Amino acid sequence: MRRTAPARAAALLAALTLGLAACAESESGGGGGGGGAADESGPIKIGAVLDITGAGASLGVPERQALELLASQLQEEGGIDGREVELIIEDNQSTEDGAAKAINKLVNEDEVDLVLGASRTGPSLAMRPVAESNQIPMISLAANQAIVDGSEWVFKTAQNDRVVIERMIDYMADQGHTTIGLARDASGFGEGVQEMFDEIGAAEGISVVAAEKFAPDATDFTAQMVNLRNAAADINVIWGIPPAAGLAQQAYVQLGIAAPVMQSHGIGNQVFLDTAGDSAEGLVAPLGRLVVADQLPEDDPQADVINEFVEAYTAEYDQGPSTFAGHAYDGWQLAIDALREVGTDKQAVRDHLEGLEDVVGISGTFTMSPDDHSGLTKEALVLVTVENGAWKLLPDQGTGG
Amino acid sequence: MTDLLQLLFAGLSQGAVYALIAIGFVAIFTVSGVINLAQGEFAALAGLVAISAAGGGMLLPAAAVLAVSTVAIVAVVMERLVIFPVRGMTTLVSLILTLGVSTGLKALMLLIYGPDAKGLEPLFPGAFDLAGVSIRYQELLILAVAGVVALAVYWFYEKTLAGKSLRACAEQPVAARLVGISLSRASLLSFLIAGCVGAIGGVLASPIYFTGWESGLTLGLKGFVAATLGGLVSVRGAVLGGLLLGVLENLTAGYISTGLRDAVAFFLLIVVLVARPSGIFGRHAEARV
Repeated sequence: MRRTAPARAAALLAALTLGLAACAESESGGGGGGGGAADESGPIKIGAVLDITGAGASLGVPERQALELLASQLQEEGGIDGREVELIIEDNQSTEDGAAKAINKLVNEDEVDLVLGASRTGPSLAMRPVAESNQIPMISLAANQAIVDGSEWVFKTAQNDRVVIERMIDYMADQGHTTIGLARDASGFGEGVQEMFDEIGAAEGISVVAAEKFAPDATDFTAQMVNLRNAAADINVIWGIPPAAGLAQQAYVQLGIAAPVMQSHGIGNQVFLDTAGDSAEGLVAPLGRLVVADQLPEDDPQADVINEFVEAYTAEYDQGPSTFAGHAYDGWQLAIDALREVGTDKQAVRDHLEGLEDVVGISGTFTMSPDDHSGLTKEALVLVTVENGAWKLLPDQGTGG
Repeated sequence: MTDLLQLLFAGLSQGAVYALIAIGFVAIFTVSGVINLAQGEFAALAGLVAISAAGGGMLLPAAAVLAVSTVAIVAVVMERLVIFPVRGMTTLVSLILTLGVSTGLKALMLLIYGPDAKGLEPLFPGAFDLAGVSIRYQELLILAVAGVVALAVYWFYEKTLAGKSLRACAEQPVAARLVGISLSRASLLSFLIAGCVGAIGGVLASPIYFTGWESGLTLGLKGFVAATLGGLVSVRGAVLGGLLLGVLENLTAGYISTGLRDAVAFFLLIVVLVARPSGIFGRHAEARV
């Protein structure tokens, strides 16, 4: 009889834990809709693997919101040729193995026609072999060019780090800087960045003289910033995503480093402005046009697409979309466009995506080719600064744009 | 030199947070042999409660008090529901039970507060320069409050009757019972203390290090390592262990490689467990608590 008490407590606890876990699961997978048995004329299924919890949450959450919004819009329009489009969202918890598991489930159990995601580079790289071996079109929303280098079935919508770095080097050359101090994300997003700065900067005589790393969930940046301060480069680059990028920015200003600072395109959301606070004032970053939608010239080719999305998103969620929501929008539109044009034949969808030309999206204007599954050039980016806690289009866009 | 001081100072304030978490581990372990893996979640929950209360317009000190009392209640409820009913508690059983609580609390925090990590508004924002070392006011606050709390806990165990009865439970459970000390009440009290110090640590840390639903994992691990450095049974050892860990982490990140920062704790843990299981400051089983 002695056993009853602990057994009851343990059972209660187990039930509580499992119950909560189940709640969390249904919450994050909530965009799925009905999910009835799929038959030949059944719904078209699009799977999405996003970093909804964990270090990439500030990317994955707005992406989920954007996808859910677009899916419900499409639903109201009556789907594609009368076929319903079902969106199944999986949370990879910002981990590589979570992403691999999620895409396996989507491909094998849900039998989706196309996969979107992941939000960040590491998880996207983990999904790539699954997409390639199952021959299923995949559109990543992440940045690192390695995701699509030499890929057959994988595409991506976020601006390549290569074009971002080209844009940054252009700016540095304009400003007369020749040495860079780099503090980069130690995960996939920051992988190879230093080498790329050196490679692209070589033509302008610009090189990285100090490189520091930080974990994506790091909280203290004193050590990295002290080392950057000692390196005394002409300009420093923080390459990460919030909240880490925001905390790094705070430490940069707190330690009184005098050199100007640039951030990457990983910071295009309100979370960054909130975490960095006053310390963000005056930094320069190459970002998609979305964050400065209200400041774009009227003749900007992307203005209409961006403004329409901003309006719909803001009406639904009471806050403006981040650039990451924009990456998700582009991924969704490219997918829907392909499915509308050629149906659900996977090979045809892939070929259609590869042949896209001058498709105007949120992150830029896409032109894919067999060699380039990213489709954006440095013109997709504008230089943005922070003024009074808000994004501001830099008046002098330099020679790059 | 300036760099060394800068790294030392950043390490001390980070270490003070570890120290507070470590005190919580020690408070509970000495009384009942329970290793409370939800200790880090106490800190994370406190940070999140404070952030949402302050976001709702509450004054910062009031939000901090609310956060600490909420977590104190959670800790006490946890003790009554999960620890108290178990007869013949062993450290292994306690690990499994508290791991369950930790997972449950994390899921709850994710549901209530969402996935984003946020920072509490600092009570005194800004920083000042002292001999080239930049010091944030919040870091001074962390050190000051952690110092006061550690002294208070120490005083409680050494000078008050309740504290002495807790030490008695730790040293001689049977004898303590014979002289009329309630082990049940002692266990409850130890969870109350652990909840309070963990929560204070969590609220203090939030403005600088940010708090998310997952923050408790790292904080709990580092706090546990700090407590182990002190032999798991000494408040003084836990405080010293926490400070040492914070400083070593920062020096390693600054002078060796930033990638090794989080490895320091586990390296230390292995070395200590192999070479000096009673803690690096310990004098074997004497002077518990």
